[in-house]
Amino acid sequence: MRKSVNRQSTPDVEENQEDKEPSFQELINIELIESGEKERLMELLRERLIECGWKDEMKALCRSFIKKKGRNNVTVDDLVHVITPKGRASIPDSVKAELLQRIRTFLMSAAL
Amino acid sequence: MSTRKPSYTNPRPCKHLSAYKLKHGLSGYKSLQKCLKTTPNGRTSVENPGTKISRCSSCNGYQGRLYFCLICSSISCSGHTLLHTQSEIGHDLAVDIERAELYCCACSDQVYDPDFDKTVMSKHMLDLSYSTNRNSADSIGERLCERKRLGSGVELADLNKSGQLALMRDHRAKSCYPLGLRGLNNLGNTCFMNSVLQALLHAPPMRNYFLSDRHNRRTCRKRSANRLCLPCELDGIFSAVYSGGGDRTPYSPAQFLYSWWQHSENLASYEQQDAHEFFISVLDGIHERESKARNQTRDSGDCQCITHRVFSGQLRSDVTCMTCGFTSTTYDPCLDISLDLDTNHCSNKPVKRNDNSSTSTLLGCLDLFTKPEKLGTDQKLFCQNCQEPRDSSKQLSIRKLPLVLCLHIKRFEHSLVRKMMRKIDSYMHFPFSLDMTPYLSSSIVRNRFGNRIFAFEGDDSDNSTEFEIFAVITHSGTLDSGHYLTYLRIKEQWYKCDNAWISEVDERVVRASQCYMMFYVHKTLYYKAKEDLSCLPVSTRKEAFHRVAGCC
Repeated sequence: MRKSVNRQSTPDVEENQEDKEPSFQELINIELIESGEKERLMELLRERLIECGWKDEMKALCRSFIKKKGRNNVTVDDLVHVITPKGRASIPDSVKAELLQRIRTFLMSAAL
Repeated sequence: MSTRKPSYTNPRPCKHLSAYKLKHGLSGYKSLQKCLKTTPNGRTSVENPGTKISRCSSCNGYQGRLYFCLICSSISCSGHTLLHTQSEIGHDLAVDIERAELYCCACSDQVYDPDFDKTVMSKHMLDLSYSTNRNSADSIGERLCERKRLGSGVELADLNKSGQLALMRDHRAKSCYPLGLRGLNNLGNTCFMNSVLQALLHAPPMRNYFLSDRHNRRTCRKRSANRLCLPCELDGIFSAVYSGGGDRTPYSPAQFLYSWWQHSENLASYEQQDAHEFFISVLDGIHERESKARNQTRDSGDCQCITHRVFSGQLRSDVTCMTCGFTSTTYDPCLDISLDLDTNHCSNKPVKRNDNSSTSTLLGCLDLFTKPEKLGTDQKLFCQNCQEPRDSSKQLSIRKLPLVLCLHIKRFEHSLVRKMMRKIDSYMHFPFSLDMTPYLSSSIVRNRFGNRIFAFEGDDSDNSTEFEIFAVITHSGTLDSGHYLTYLRIKEQWYKCDNAWISEVDERVVRASQCYMMFYVHKTLYYKAKEDLSCLPVSTRKEAFHRVAGCC
């Protein structure tokens, strides 16, 4: 079966062909990954989110969801869909600020 | 005898996983292993060889979860995994690139396979052994070894020995209090001693030991003339307290106090003492005496004295280098566990917490105890692998649980304002039934690698990890002056032991109390006997002994 047949539309993705010009966001992402900075930022983020109890909150949310639905009726995708909006909303401002600062510093030094 | 709950569960595979395993076996996993990337802190990911950025083959997206097909190596984002299985029959199994977790595209759910986790774990060990250049990588991940089985139960009584106990219902007693409940007179600020004695008197293995006459006062005195012997004195208290028909009036443990003063001269006074300090000192006194008697100078790991058989556990301490992941592990024996309170003293918690989570709980304290602690940058430890001082993190866990688990809450802290120690009075919630599985070394170490299904040393232990509380020592007052009480749980009824006064209390009183030391015993040793022991008919002494000393 060809890829073009029966392809689902993905409204939130803008780029559909590989030969289009990469967006600025993509360029930054590439630079972050290749320099290894993305991994460092991810580690920092993980550490901060554990420290402030965000991870435990998410765990608790998952547990209560599983209890409600029943252990055998929940998939990982369900959990991701349920906690993603709550998770994004409850990230402390201090964590956001710290990471933004790091990214800004990186962008300035990367001379993009 | 209790149904053994394995420390890790092996979920049943979905039909797609089974079909994949049948067809491909472990070959897919093995070839994936080359692409696995491990980090020092236990994370695993799939490294896409060649291009650094993985993109979905359907939509070219690079954000969110990406899955790597085990059969054709194509990458799909979470929105297109279903499409992949539909377009390519049989391509059901994939691996989450960022997390190295198995995913079944057909079921749209994560699946688990011990063989896969074994592949991941062996990559970790491989990477570590390469970095340390050692042949026997004994750091992260242990080899399955024969777990030493120390005798956990106390043998049945030597039925030939005669004893003073006769079980008879005391019709004169106003209320039929169970056997073994007797007040202890305060001999001058000795509530610290009375509270601990009450707990020891009702610790099932201790009670069984002494009531089965395992430490006979006459033979002991014959053996070593005129030496003060703490176990003898303790035996005396057991006899006095458990004598049925006999005196139910409060007992004065003067002889015991005198013996203990001889043993701990620095604490010999009529001043108030710390109950926990007393507890450790008594255990030490019994151990000293018993090991001398048996002419053994074994260290506490192998000691067979009653103290160690009942209370001795083993803690594991892992110090991990944050740069290379090399972990150095040490084991230390312990007679009890002292826990810091998990109160949220630090006010820099930006995440809003609901009221429930602001109370201290015992589980919270245990979580804190086994949490990895980042040692400060001024405390860099020398890493054998990196050959220089590195930032490290330390994590404690319990390798071996004792029969009776004594948990001590450190209710004191340094007050920055007054520059002295002060007592922390905050309430701490504690459960009556406690499952210690999450705090075992096997669970803690397994958790470091994302909870892989992987056998660790000590996993296949038969010992249950479920405990039941039987005694709580509470403290009220300040660091310098206060009062100790013990709550005892006998056959689902709680009793308050306030020196000479014993009374029945509702469990809610106990739950609301300010606990200082809690004593939990293995569920298997905790009787929930339906019969009232003190109401047994008078029969031959032999049978009576059998009842009291028998286990399960």
